[in-house]
Amino acid sequence: MKEENLSSKYKWCTLVLVITMTVLLIRLWDLQIMRGAEMRKLSEQNRIRIKKIVAPRGIIYDRMGKVLADTRPSFNIYLTPEDIRDFSQTVDGLARLIACDREEIIEKMKAASGMPPSFPIKIKSDIPMDEVARVEAHRVYIPGISIQIEPKRNYPYAASFAHVIGYVSEVSDEELKDKKKYKDYSPGDYIGKYGLERAYENDLRGVDGEKRVEVDAIGREVRTLDVIDPIPGNSLHLNLDLDLQLSADKALETRKGAAVALNPKTGGVLVLASRPGFDPNLFASGISKTDWQKIALDKLHPLQNRAIQGGYPPGSTFKILLALRALDLGIINERTTFSCGGGFSYGNRVFKCWKKGGHGSVSVHRAIVESCDVFFYNVGLRLGVDRIHDFGNTLGLGRITGIDLPNEQKGLLPSTEWKKKRYNQPWYEGETVSVAIGQGAVWLTPIQLAMLSSFVAGDGKNYKPQIVNRIVSTEGKVIKAFEPVVNADVKLKPGVLTIVKDGMRGVVNEPGGTAGASKVQNVLMSGKTGTAQAGSDKVRLGDHAWFIAYAPSDDASVAMAILVEHGLHGSSAAAPIAKGITETLFKVKTVIKEAKVNENR
Amino acid sequence: MRIDKRRYYHLDWYLIINGLLIFGIGLLNLVSATSSFSSGSYNFMIKQLIAFAMGLVLIVVVMYYDYRIIANHSRWIYLGGISLVVLVLVIGLAAGGAKRWISLFGFSIQPSEFMKPILVIFLANMLYEKKRQNTPLSLKDIAKPLLWTLIPFVLIVKQPDLGTGIVIILVCFAILWYIGLKKSTYAVLFAVGAISPFIAWHYLMKPYQKMRVLSFINIDADPAGFGYHAKQAIIAVGSGRFLGKGFMAGTQHKLQFIPEHHTDFIFTVFSEEWGFIGSVILFALFISFINRCLKIAMNAHDELGAIIAFGIASIIYVQFTINVMMAIHLAPVVGIPLPFISYGGSSLLSMLVSVGLLLNISTRRYMF
Repeated sequence: MKEENLSSKYKWCTLVLVITMTVLLIRLWDLQIMRGAEMRKLSEQNRIRIKKIVAPRGIIYDRMGKVLADTRPSFNIYLTPEDIRDFSQTVDGLARLIACDREEIIEKMKAASGMPPSFPIKIKSDIPMDEVARVEAHRVYIPGISIQIEPKRNYPYAASFAHVIGYVSEVSDEELKDKKKYKDYSPGDYIGKYGLERAYENDLRGVDGEKRVEVDAIGREVRTLDVIDPIPGNSLHLNLDLDLQLSADKALETRKGAAVALNPKTGGVLVLASRPGFDPNLFASGISKTDWQKIALDKLHPLQNRAIQGGYPPGSTFKILLALRALDLGIINERTTFSCGGGFSYGNRVFKCWKKGGHGSVSVHRAIVESCDVFFYNVGLRLGVDRIHDFGNTLGLGRITGIDLPNEQKGLLPSTEWKKKRYNQPWYEGETVSVAIGQGAVWLTPIQLAMLSSFVAGDGKNYKPQIVNRIVSTEGKVIKAFEPVVNADVKLKPGVLTIVKDGMRGVVNEPGGTAGASKVQNVLMSGKTGTAQAGSDKVRLGDHAWFIAYAPSDDASVAMAILVEHGLHGSSAAAPIAKGITETLFKVKTVIKEAKVNENR
Repeated sequence: MRIDKRRYYHLDWYLIINGLLIFGIGLLNLVSATSSFSSGSYNFMIKQLIAFAMGLVLIVVVMYYDYRIIANHSRWIYLGGISLVVLVLVIGLAAGGAKRWISLFGFSIQPSEFMKPILVIFLANMLYEKKRQNTPLSLKDIAKPLLWTLIPFVLIVKQPDLGTGIVIILVCFAILWYIGLKKSTYAVLFAVGAISPFIAWHYLMKPYQKMRVLSFINIDADPAGFGYHAKQAIIAVGSGRFLGKGFMAGTQHKLQFIPEHHTDFIFTVFSEEWGFIGSVILFALFISFINRCLKIAMNAHDELGAIIAFGIASIIYVQFTINVMMAIHLAPVVGIPLPFISYGGSSLLSMLVSVGLLLNISTRRYMF
């Protein structure tokens, strides 16, 4: 009985062992043989990640090879959703370690919700060293968080070049929705949003590389398996000149306005400054909401590039256009005089000259030098608005000049056709009288007036303004060189240019010239002041100050247009800036003497 | 110390060599499992070898005294074991939210591990008379052994160390079954067994323990926690395929995808690196070892030896089966070490003391 009982127990035991072995082996067979390949793949996916290596953006140089925009290393925080164990542990943990709240992190994650869970989402860019240290020290407790060292855009001159060079910023959700145009971009990528950064995005961007790395369970890189190197973006060599730009920008810094300087022989843009500006570095490191609102809601519109987007009545600078055309057509000649008694009656209205007593009998030379309004009322009426419009248009006024920046505005140069189209009304001659001195329906941008100045300086020829001179690869190979493109080449009647140029030289250099105070030592500068009424007839704001100029007078290498919003007088507010640019260009050491500013036009 | 020379001839060399093979494989595997730790595998290997050496000394000590003499003192040994377990609750060292260790003479020991063989001797001593009479146990008969099992069970589960608690309870039932139960006793036990999961679920289990069960039923219920570990464990085992990735070449454990991969989850390391073939060999070695234990029980000189040997066989069987099943997602995650393989001095010492008892019983099988 006992033996029987016992051996039956052992039989049971053997049975249990056999069943156990069978169950375990079936399960192992299932996992290792039937699903072995799949499991092997999962374990590979577990450990291998493809990480992007951000290509450094192309460097932007001025014409002397000085760096205007480059890249520097920055620490960026990434979150890989796949590696998260406990959502709130990672997200709240991170929020405590860096200056970034939970909502911001979740927002970033939502923005990248279309990406696979192994895609690292950029949470914060360019974090300070103490945050780097804190995050690294707590890595184990916040699985899924990683820090990457990546190139970050750096603008050493900050606001001084903000409107030309523009800025880069993270590609927005809206842009990413346009799958066709932005197919090469993923959330967190930088994209040029403004200025040259935007216009030359494809050249500057480069091609991101990637590396396959083995990572551990919390996403730390253990070793690199292979690397595809990024191709850095191409460099831009500009026609801009650092010193000239800084000189103009410094003069404008506390004001609103713009300065443009062109090389009249090529159309190369030497200066393109606009104030107020902003610090583009803020955008490059991921602008905070408060900073963005501060800039976007600023009543001074710091995001507007006044040099190419601001439309202003050109005031007396416009007289140069009329003089050129009238002389060329023979409507007036060197000796034609009109009598200025301080006013001009047309219809039932009296148009005043700025000089109350009048200029007396004036010829074209004196009319330019002393900026006589009555002379040009007469000239304007004889020319008619359409001939003014057509000639201005040829030179580049009232239309896109084609400068290599996005969102250029075309301003307005009126014509009978325009009035008919716009208001379905005929043009009244009385309106031509206002247009003749650059008031009324004329709205031009500083770059357009620089084109006018450049046309005179270039003896009847001007070029399309170009900021970029050439695109160069990292190996130093010139990928594209921008040759000068002729904008207007007008064969003027002989002598016409001499008369106008003499007048413009007189503005600065003759007694009674409206910009006499801005005479430059050793270099002859020619120019024309302008003072344009701002606001409406009811609400008069301070006049806008204009100055167009070129130097040297006989063989110009720079043509300029300066605008100071509400600067009151072209002679006192705008002309000194042109003087500053000229002095910087020709390295004139100025003996600063506070001359009494001639508050004339 | 005088040892009867005749006993060497009766030493169970099968058991010894089988055990050494398992331990050798375990040591090799431990080197790979701990190679990614900052302290390096050398440190772990040395500690494991020291425990092994101490275990060998204990084997000799245990073999020196006739197991019947040891059994005679079993109540004192039991009392000593229980006091150590109580001591854990009082002055225990906490690690990972649980108090399982006490520091003794510079070593941290885990008394619950020793409670397993102690309970086996204690129960065997209590029940071998019944076995000899060959009377099936009534409900009244099993009340006492169950009570003496529940005391350490409650104390150990309180640490909390659910794994060891489960082993103790299962071993107790195995011994009761081995002695023989009345049909009525079976009926009551089955009834209690049927309702106890509900009681445990509603009144006894902690939330994290429930989570383990839930994520066992649905592996995606808790993808961040236990479900994640269970999934990674399956991936480790499965990715080993037929031949394995090779010694030291497992990625799942080395890259920290699997927690406790040098202790409770050590089977995943072995299976990933040695594949199906290696796993089959390891299983065979365990089954053969357990089978040998049963043979010792069968051939034991008396019922006392038989029960002790059977009890030890059931300890090894329960730990081996649950540990492997947990690694391949056939059981919920519970902390139970794989005998001879998992890293841990107390577990190894407890195992070697058990081997000492087995050898003790087998060498004395011809003594009267």
